[in-house]
Amino acid sequence: MSNHVTEWLNAYLDGELNGNRLQNVEEHLAGCTACQAELDSLQNLSVLLQEVPAPEFPSPERFATQVNLLLPQKRTSTPNSQLFEIAWWMIPVGLLAVWVFISTAALLGDAMSVAKNFGLLDSTTASFISAPSDTAEVTSTLGQFGMLHGNNLQWAETTENFTRGLFPQIVLQVSVALLYLTWFAVWWARQTHQGREALLEG
Amino acid sequence: MAVVLEVSEAELVKDAQHGDRNAFSELVRIHTHGVFNVVYRMCGDALIAEDAAQETFIRAWQSISSYHPQTPLRNWLYRIAFNAAMDMLRKEKRILPNDIEDMQLTDGQPGLESLVSQQERTQLVQKAILSLPDASRAVLVLREYEGMSYQEISSTLDIPIGTVMSRLSYARNLLKAKLKPQLSLLEIEHV
Repeated sequence: MSNHVTEWLNAYLDGELNGNRLQNVEEHLAGCTACQAELDSLQNLSVLLQEVPAPEFPSPERFATQVNLLLPQKRTSTPNSQLFEIAWWMIPVGLLAVWVFISTAALLGDAMSVAKNFGLLDSTTASFISAPSDTAEVTSTLGQFGMLHGNNLQWAETTENFTRGLFPQIVLQVSVALLYLTWFAVWWARQTHQGREALLEG
Repeated sequence: MAVVLEVSEAELVKDAQHGDRNAFSELVRIHTHGVFNVVYRMCGDALIAEDAAQETFIRAWQSISSYHPQTPLRNWLYRIAFNAAMDMLRKEKRILPNDIEDMQLTDGQPGLESLVSQQERTQLVQKAILSLPDASRAVLVLREYEGMSYQEISSTLDIPIGTVMSRLSYARNLLKAKLKPQLSLLEIEHV
């Protein structure tokens, strides 16, 4: 008979076949002495393997006591540590929210200023927004007293406007980025430490 | 009864995950035989096996917080046990035989003169098992000595079922070749 079923004999012996495959193997075995001999050989091997005696097991109670004495101290997962974990993961979320808020506020501020300059806002709304030129108060005062003239006055105004408007935004965004990087570095260190512990498992 | 045991084990695991050493000791007590059997079959030496079993439970304690109850605890422990057994063998400079040619019977022909005692035969079989590649031996041990299904072996060793089947087939073919004289003797005994 052709199409021997030798590749399925292990699974057949282990009771892992079902349905049509099982039926096919059984039908084939009924008429094929070669496959039947192979199956007998596998069954004999199984008998031989079962002859190897089980080890002398240590008493479970004694063994458990021994192991208990060897167990190292372990960090316990308390409700406080769970709260800490939640708080820990809220840090990047909070930083992201702060960054979005700062960026949005800056963008909105710029947009409102442009809108005011083009006269697109009503007088009530416009009164809440100060024009960029109004912010260079120190330079204007110095100019009025004649301490700054011409190009120097313009440079001083630009510098003061930058310091008052853009500079705080940059400082805030850099601070947020630094805080995030610090959080990331601590997270990385924790992961590395936990990775070492996981290695112990396998 | 099985359900009661499962619930009880799940509670013990939960307590152990919260640092309860007594709950963990109870889990050790429950799984001592299984783990010891697996590491012994992998190492073939009772003393090394005891050390490997201890190491298994210490590692399990250290990483039990990462254990997910979707996997049966036994499977999870056995995976740790295999790694512990392999590490222990490496540490002990691997005393397993690579070949059993030198352990074969001097007379390969089956006959009354060449019949060896049951004890000698089991020693030869055990040495043949130990000479198998680690990956195939692990699959064979779980199937023959722990009676696990292919699905359970696949889950325990984290390998596909197809790999379980091929490794098992490879291991059995290798054993059949190495234990040919013993298999012939067994056939004569059965006749």
